[in-house]
Amino acid sequence: MISEKGLWSRIRLRLLFTGPTLFAFATVMIVPFLYGIYLTFTNWDGISTTSTMVGFENYAYVWKDAVFWKSFYLTLKYVFISVALVNVAAFLLAYFLSSGMKGQSFFRAGFFIPNLVGGIVLGFVWQFIFSNVLVSIGQKAGISIFGTSWLADPDKAFFALIIVTVWQYAGYMMVIYVAGLMNVPKDIMEAASIDGATAFRKLRTMILPLMVPSFIVCVFLSLQRTFMVYDLNLTLTKGGPFKSTEMVSMHVYEKAFLSRDYGVGQAEALVLFLLVAGITLLQVYFSKKLEVEA
Amino acid sequence: MKSWKSLQALLVSLVMVMVVTACGGNAGSKPADSSTAEGSANSGSASGDVKITLLNSKGEIQTQLEDAAKAFKEDYPNITLEIIPVPAGQSPFEKASALYAANSPSTITMLDTGDVEKFKDRILDLSEEKWMSDKVDGSTDLTTFDGKNYAFPLSIEGYGFIYNKAVVDKAVGGSFDPATITTTQALGDLFKKIEASGTGALIVSPMDWSLAAHFLPLAYAGQSADKAAVNQFITDLQAGSVDLASNKVFNGLMDTFDLMKEHNIDKASPLAGTYEKGPEVLGKGEVGIWFQGNWAWPQISSFDTASGAYGFLPVPISNNTDDFGNTQISAAVSKRLVLDKEKSTTEQQAAAKTFLEWMVYKEKGQDFLINKANIVPAFKNITLEPKDPLAKSIQAYIAGGKIEESMSALPADHWSKVGASMQKYLAGAADRATLAKEIQEYWTTVK
Amino acid sequence: MKRLKASMEWSKFIVLLVGLVAFVFPFILLIVNSFKENKAITASPLSLPDSFNLANYESAFTKMNYVSAFSNTVIITVLSVLLISVLAAMTAHFFVRNQSKFNQYTFFLMVAAMIIPFQAIMIPLVKVYGNLHLLDNKWSLIYMYLGFGSPLAVFIYHGFVKSIPAELEEAAMIDGCTRTQTFFRIVFPVLAPTSVTIAILNVLWIWNDFLLPSLVLTSSEQRTLPLSTFYFYGTYTVDYGPLMAGLLLTILPVLVVYLFAQKFIIQGVMQGSIK
Repeated sequence: MISEKGLWSRIRLRLLFTGPTLFAFATVMIVPFLYGIYLTFTNWDGISTTSTMVGFENYAYVWKDAVFWKSFYLTLKYVFISVALVNVAAFLLAYFLSSGMKGQSFFRAGFFIPNLVGGIVLGFVWQFIFSNVLVSIGQKAGISIFGTSWLADPDKAFFALIIVTVWQYAGYMMVIYVAGLMNVPKDIMEAASIDGATAFRKLRTMILPLMVPSFIVCVFLSLQRTFMVYDLNLTLTKGGPFKSTEMVSMHVYEKAFLSRDYGVGQAEALVLFLLVAGITLLQVYFSKKLEVEA
Repeated sequence: MKSWKSLQALLVSLVMVMVVTACGGNAGSKPADSSTAEGSANSGSASGDVKITLLNSKGEIQTQLEDAAKAFKEDYPNITLEIIPVPAGQSPFEKASALYAANSPSTITMLDTGDVEKFKDRILDLSEEKWMSDKVDGSTDLTTFDGKNYAFPLSIEGYGFIYNKAVVDKAVGGSFDPATITTTQALGDLFKKIEASGTGALIVSPMDWSLAAHFLPLAYAGQSADKAAVNQFITDLQAGSVDLASNKVFNGLMDTFDLMKEHNIDKASPLAGTYEKGPEVLGKGEVGIWFQGNWAWPQISSFDTASGAYGFLPVPISNNTDDFGNTQISAAVSKRLVLDKEKSTTEQQAAAKTFLEWMVYKEKGQDFLINKANIVPAFKNITLEPKDPLAKSIQAYIAGGKIEESMSALPADHWSKVGASMQKYLAGAADRATLAKEIQEYWTTVK
Repeated sequence: MKRLKASMEWSKFIVLLVGLVAFVFPFILLIVNSFKENKAITASPLSLPDSFNLANYESAFTKMNYVSAFSNTVIITVLSVLLISVLAAMTAHFFVRNQSKFNQYTFFLMVAAMIIPFQAIMIPLVKVYGNLHLLDNKWSLIYMYLGFGSPLAVFIYHGFVKSIPAELEEAAMIDGCTRTQTFFRIVFPVLAPTSVTIAILNVLWIWNDFLLPSLVLTSSEQRTLPLSTFYFYGTYTVDYGPLMAGLLLTILPVLVVYLFAQKFIIQGVMQGSIK
């Protein structure tokens, strides 16, 4: 390994290379995070000048807060469905758009566009589409499924969230899959074609195994993004109708700022963090294992 | 190799510059930022100029407030007032507490009535202000703690059934008299007549805040004309000793709500509507009635087809004309202004007090309140007549003593939590027993 | 057989085209409606505008204080992205080449921190920085972006630095370069494609970010584009026309850049995923 002379120059080097990022990281994320943990042991309401220590009371409340666990379960359902759909859609798009067809880079560019826009803008535009545009189309064309706003029905509002999520992330994940597909060696594919392998067979036996690393990255990214969904939830459905689509991030936020129960909100945020961290780490662990086997 | 070296030197120096500016920026900003409060005071001592800010949580009067700040500067050239809006989707409490957490509170903050108490350690006691002697009776009761009033009552807002006179005139065949609607029965007949005349009867806007901050609280406030009895009712709700399912006022109100559901033009998909749809269909005359408050006038007027003839009807809770609530309109002071005492200088506090007085006593200030912002003021000395028909209607009810005080200090999450239950009931996903149970459950969780 | 194949190609093309139209439909809708009056928008959202009416844009442009918001956003985005790219590359390089236990733990901590929900730290963050009087200025915001952005950037760089043979650097050092020189002369240029990726990912995030700036920047002259868009509609009413125009004005700069650098951006994201 590359070695350095002297302790002082080693420290200086470390400070130069890692100092700025680590200092910013520690002061922006870690310090507030730890301070937030401290706040979970108080009954601070977000404004008053005083607060008292309440021990584990807030955590006991989280354990009993049925609405929190309900919204967590709903989030799990949402995450599961949208991660699956996002990745299937993205992979299919990538597969078709790397087969050398005409205008494929134009298509890729087009499908990527939703990623240029922030969550709040997206939510607003889609709310307009679901509650005005589709209803207007539905009524004029007599399509009953669009006749009433999707956002007014608990099940349809849930699927509206999923549709927008797929729309938002499919393009991004597609690009990652395209990159993965380009790494599949061409000569092997050609050899397989000459041997008379069908497209499906090639896909199943050669492409998919080689794509495992891309799948890991995409699933990790989409897991992380869908678990934390907030902007979209807020602007598209506001958790409605009657709180039926309130995801866990939104619940935490409301607990802290609407119910003015900052300690409990912060405690729930922490519990959420631990659960999500656990799930994501498991995913990475198992897929790495899969990668080794494949 | 040489070009490499210069490129490397360039990059290194670039990084160094960036690191230095990044850190320097932070270090340098310290005195600059901490001096924002004092800074204006310093500049104040130099030229006598004071800069104050107002956090506005009444989004619909943002432009009017900005104009008022300009008019105020004409009268007081040394005071600059800047209006900061609370962004849509954020609650005034959330924004105000974030500003306090950030050590940069606005000089004047506009809060909902129920939030004032939380801020009381940080805001000025206004009991000695001149306008205290001209305020409408009882308008500062809810912001008085330990005998000290902490807030300026900005606006009285009222709500009920808004009717479009052109539509109801046609329905009843002649000039409609709002005084005839004092029972649920009469209201139902009116709905049927409107429908018979070929238009929709009413639209029920499904927003949680409308259903649970305005409509349902009628069941609390309507318990008794005696405020102490209403407060006792709330205490009992919290203690879990109220049985709503057998409560007369609650059931009466819900009977009216059932009637509204039945005649709602959005009956097919009752939760699909947005706030924007209400003023549109009412103004265009596609329905005769909409449950909402006087703040909706600017939007109704942009669709107006009834040449400005609108008014309020009470929300009846029984078939007995004499019952409390059947002839009264729900109204109360809804927005309050509080003055920060933590970070504001004495000059800023004085300037903020001047602004409050300006609104109550100066011609331009009154003009802003009444004519520009369509506010029903909470001060007896203001004699300007409102121009908009809804404010006029509210004032007529106030003048006639026909007011049921709105529940303006409900718990902060009441509208959201109970709103969801009301929406469920509106959509037919829950029956009345479930609704009553959910409301009772909500109240027992209130700390 | 050939004809079948050709028709297969065609049907694939058509399906993709339909999909693409569905994908960009919201944007078309936004453009079309931004020229219409409020009433026309709610009444018939699909109809084309009667005339090329720029009133909404004028109103949005002035009310949003576009010029100031635009320049704020540019300054914040450019500086944050530059800092993140350069500094995170240095950190990642250091971590890869000095694989001590401490460094590995630090790296793991950074990666793990990526899943901390922003909601969990926002009030403590505001409280801490408020007490230090560090809020309401761009530089603090840029500094926070460095803090929030470096974990992902370090993570991505980490993967790429691993693929650079250490012999390359050893050779440079034998030639007499210091570690710092080696990094900027050899490693950073090799990492250029990755840097482009990092830059793109961060531009997309920072340009559109709402929650953090809304907490940090309070005075009106500091506002960024997303902030001024959202400060621009009321609590109860939605002024659809100007709002559509405002939304479009907010995403327009990104769309224009995308139009010209589209190949680059797509490639950037691609690079970002291979490690």
